[in-house]
Amino acid sequence: MNYDFIVIGAGISGITSAITLAQNGLRVALLEKAERTAPVLRGFSRRGVHFDTGFHYTGGLAKGEPLDIFLRYLGISDRVTTFPFNEDGFDLFRCENPGFEFRVPTGFENLRESLCQAFPAERAAIDSYLGQVRFTCATMPYLNLDAEIRNDSGLQRIFGATLRETLDALTGNEMLKSLLSMHCLLYGVPSNEVSFAQHAAIVGSYYDSVRGIRGGGLSLARAFDARLAELGVDVLCSREVAGIEVAPGGALSGLRLSDGQTLLCSAAISTVHPRILLDMAPAGSFRPAYRKRLGALEETVSAFLCFATSEDTIPALAGANRFLLPDAGCMRELGKRPIGSAALYLSGAYREGETEPRGFIGICPVLFSETAAWQSAAGRRSEGYRQYKEQALGLMQGQIERAYPDLAGKIRSIEASTPLTIRDFCSTPLGGLYGVKHMVGQYNPQPATRIPGLFLAGQAVVAPGLMGAVLSGLLACGTVLGHDQMRKELKACC
Amino acid sequence: MTDQEIIERINSSLAEEFEYDLAAMTPETTLFEDMGLDSLDIVDLVIVLETAFGMKVREEEAIRKISTLGDIHTFVIGKKRQTEGA
Repeated sequence: MNYDFIVIGAGISGITSAITLAQNGLRVALLEKAERTAPVLRGFSRRGVHFDTGFHYTGGLAKGEPLDIFLRYLGISDRVTTFPFNEDGFDLFRCENPGFEFRVPTGFENLRESLCQAFPAERAAIDSYLGQVRFTCATMPYLNLDAEIRNDSGLQRIFGATLRETLDALTGNEMLKSLLSMHCLLYGVPSNEVSFAQHAAIVGSYYDSVRGIRGGGLSLARAFDARLAELGVDVLCSREVAGIEVAPGGALSGLRLSDGQTLLCSAAISTVHPRILLDMAPAGSFRPAYRKRLGALEETVSAFLCFATSEDTIPALAGANRFLLPDAGCMRELGKRPIGSAALYLSGAYREGETEPRGFIGICPVLFSETAAWQSAAGRRSEGYRQYKEQALGLMQGQIERAYPDLAGKIRSIEASTPLTIRDFCSTPLGGLYGVKHMVGQYNPQPATRIPGLFLAGQAVVAPGLMGAVLSGLLACGTVLGHDQMRKELKACC
Repeated sequence: MTDQEIIERINSSLAEEFEYDLAAMTPETTLFEDMGLDSLDIVDLVIVLETAFGMKVREEEAIRKISTLGDIHTFVIGKKRQTEGA
């Protein structure tokens, strides 16, 4: 069997790539080392409650918005049901010290009004911030299908000002800055590291509209599976790539699997973590400078997560997430605060077919070094690790119940995952919650590589999240098929 | 650091990181034709310079104008002088 393309990794970016290539008439195989496609997106269930581990909500999915167009193009739209998050407050921001609450509404205008009401003296700063976010989104070539494609389109995300620098130039109001930085949690990079352009490209779509998917990531994964089958993509699970094979001229010729088999192909798209890619690439195929760059890429913050079920429904969490900040400065120190006094994110978890949550998932950003002592397989089975996990969970539950009395006493069962769980489950070698981070001064890989026929996609290339992963797949395919052609096809789905 | 030391460090770093013959490097050496670099390598070029001199390069305009090894020498020497003067 000789494939036109083999896609390595069946996460969202890999599935997007496989569908796009197959839709363009190419013979495609999709390899996944886990037992099933999209393991992170699928999540898991406890006591009949489904916990999403990869997808909670997204921007840009309302009719005619970028993600809606992308899912339509991929043949997914008709297979999933989406629903709007609470328009008056899809995210509830709360700072404890000093006390301040804000309901983040959807729609730029609504957001502008609410912000101006809460910070009447900051009207100019608010207008300027929202204006810059809008402008950034409008100039991104795939977020706006009419935007000009320039070779250096990505440079602002690396060279430009940080979010923090941009906000500092606009206002001295720490609470406003903290509020406008709250969504750093959605990509795991503190405000003094992420570029304003990267931040804007991500949050801009949430300011437009916020939607969830009925049945969560699992139903999206099922829709992807159905579409892959329909297109005749060979989905090969429990198969791990050991090495990339190249022909004498250096071009990619196939993939060697860990079971010894070799699959022949003319080209491949890798969506694995760049550090893992380095182990697959033949010696001498990448220059030392590129190897060092990929090997040194920093990852986002890691996280300690809790998964709680409740006997009763929790209507207040339906279509509304909660962001808890102990103080206004903690977004600058993402991951550096101890569990129990760090920032916290809560999102509802549902039973199949229900529209009011029966539990919630809690995410607390921590550094990977938190679990450094137990990194070996043996360490994870030790008594010390078990105690750490239990104590951390207790601290997190305590913080949640103190801050939100409406959740206290409702928790029926609660489990936890640590940065080590993330490392193994998400295949991020340093436990990054969102993989490789995007920050000013860090040069993430582009889709094209020095090995002819090898292209890259995945969150390391564009951004994390459903939107970032889908975009990275489209961008890689655009590099293969031509961006003008790709955008023409997308436009036909508008 | 003297200008000559800066130039030597630039040349040796690039020779190592881009697998180019150090002896063949002159200020007239072009990055694209002679050294075989392409747009994919520009980012790595910036990182090599940042690492070799412990500086941060955020001047995209200046980087885009570079085409010869001599341009890199001038750029880094200028940047070094700028930081020393500050």
